[in-house]
Amino acid sequence: MEKFGRILMVEDDPKDVELALTALEEYHLANEVVVARDGQQALDYLYGRGEFTGRSPENPAVMLLDLKLPKVDGLEVLQKVKSDENLKTIPVVVLTSSNEEKDMMRSYKLGVNAYVVKPVDFHEFVNAVKELGVFWAVINQPPPGSMKK
Amino acid sequence: MARWNVDLQNGSPVLRYGLSLVCVGLALGLALAAQYYGFRDVGLPLFTLAIAIVTWYAGMGPSVLTVLLSMLSFDYFFVQPLYSLAIDLQDLPYFLIFVVWAVVVASFAAVRRRIEEHLRNAREELTHRAEELEATNKELESFTYSVSHDLRAPLRHVAGFSELLQKHASSSLDDKSRRYIRLILESAKKMGNLIDDLLGFSRIGRAETRTAAVNLGQLAREVVADFGQDASGRDIVWRIGALPVCRGDRSMLRLVLVNLVSNAVKFTRIRTRAEIEIGSAREDSREVEIFVRDNGAGFDMQHANKLFGVFQRLHLAEEFEGTGIGLATVQRIVHRHGGKVRAEGMVDNGAIFYFSLPKV
Repeated sequence: MEKFGRILMVEDDPKDVELALTALEEYHLANEVVVARDGQQALDYLYGRGEFTGRSPENPAVMLLDLKLPKVDGLEVLQKVKSDENLKTIPVVVLTSSNEEKDMMRSYKLGVNAYVVKPVDFHEFVNAVKELGVFWAVINQPPPGSMKK
Repeated sequence: MARWNVDLQNGSPVLRYGLSLVCVGLALGLALAAQYYGFRDVGLPLFTLAIAIVTWYAGMGPSVLTVLLSMLSFDYFFVQPLYSLAIDLQDLPYFLIFVVWAVVVASFAAVRRRIEEHLRNAREELTHRAEELEATNKELESFTYSVSHDLRAPLRHVAGFSELLQKHASSSLDDKSRRYIRLILESAKKMGNLIDDLLGFSRIGRAETRTAAVNLGQLAREVVADFGQDASGRDIVWRIGALPVCRGDRSMLRLVLVNLVSNAVKFTRIRTRAEIEIGSAREDSREVEIFVRDNGAGFDMQHANKLFGVFQRLHLAEEFEGTGIGLATVQRIVHRHGGKVRAEGMVDNGAIFYFSLPKV
C-alpha cells in the first residue's frame, strides 16, 4: 500500500467533507484528498487553471462527485470530463443524496464509473466513503498518467 | 353511430345550402318516380323528411330555403292545377304542415345542441380538473421527496458529529453527558427512520403499478416463510387458508402482506403462543376480501379511524416500536388497487385487518 492515488472530492457541504475526511483518515487516505467546493472549482483543478495553475499534471486516481453543486452542477462536470480526451480516463464516482432514477440514468449515460447514494446513517456513510476510497485509491489500478504518491 | 352525429352547423355555407338543394332534389325525384309507378301521396312525407334532415343537420338558413323549395316543388308538381305555381286557399294546410314541421324539428335540434354543448362543457371542465389535480399531486410528491432528501444531510451531520464527539470525549465526560449524547443519537436515528418511511411512502404514490394476476396464497406463504426465519425464537402458530388469485401489482401486494404480517408478529410478542391467520373473508364476482388475524395486543375500536393515518400510533413506543407508516402504506396500496381496508379489534384480544382487491 505504498502507492496511493489522489482523490478529488467535489462536495459543497463542508460538514459532509469533514465526515468524509474523518472516514478516510482511518486509512491514512485523507492527505491525498483534494476538495473542490463547486463544479467550477473542480473543472479548474482538472484543467490546472485558476488557483490550481501549476499543479502537477497527473490526473487524480478517482473523482468523487456530488450532483447538487453551486455554479456548475455535477452532471455538467461529468459531461465535460467524459467528453475531454485527456480527462475521460479518470474514474468518476457520483456520490449524491439523490436516488432519483433520472439522475442515475443520466449519470450512467454520460459514462459514470459508479453511482453511490449517500447513506443517511452515519456509519453506513463512513463505511461507503472508506470503501470507495480504499477501492479507487488503493485496490484499483488507475489509468496510466494518474497521480501516485 | 358517431358517423351520424355530424354537425354541419359550423360547416361551410356551401355545404349547408348544398345539403338543402340535394335533399329537396332527392325528395322531388323520388316523389316523381313513385308517382310514375303509381304510388300516390308520397310527395308530402318525402318533402317533410327532406325538411327534417336539413333542419336537423344544417340549421336555420338552409331550413328556410328547404321549406320554400319544398313548397314550390310540391305546389308545381303535386297540387292541382299541376305544373303551375297558382296557390289556392285549399293548399294552405300543406304549406302550414311544412312550416310547422320545420319549426318542430328546429326546436328539437336546438335542444339537442344545448345538451351537447352542456356535455362538452362538462367534459372540458372535467379534463381541466383532472389536469389540475394531477399537477397538484405531482407537486406534492416532489415536495415530499425533496423534503425527505434535504432533511437527510443535516441529520447525517447531527448523528455523525455526535458519534465523533462520543468517540473523542467519552472518557472525559460524566455519565449524564454520555447519556445526553446517547439520546441525541437515538433521536437522530429515529428521525432517520421517519424520513426513510416517509420517502418510501411517497415512492408508493409515484411508482407505476404493473397489474397482473397474483396468486395471493403463494404470496402469503412466501411472506410467512420470511417472517418464520426472523421469529425463530418464538412460538407462532401460522394458519394460511385458501386464498384466491386477484389482480394487482405483485411487489406492492407483497408489501401489504409484509406490513400486516409484521404487525401481527410484533403485537403478539406479549403472548407465549402467538396465533396468526391469513384467510379469505369474502369473495364475490367482482372482488375478494382477505384478512390477517392475530391474538395480540389488539386495539380499542374507538380509535379505529386513526389506524390507517400516516404516523398515527395507538401504542407507546416503549411497548411496541415503529413509526406508524405501515398501515398507511397498506391503505395507500389497497386504494391504488381500487380496494378498501378496515380493521376490527379489542383491547388485549387480538385484531383483524381486512383488505379487498379486484378479482382477475
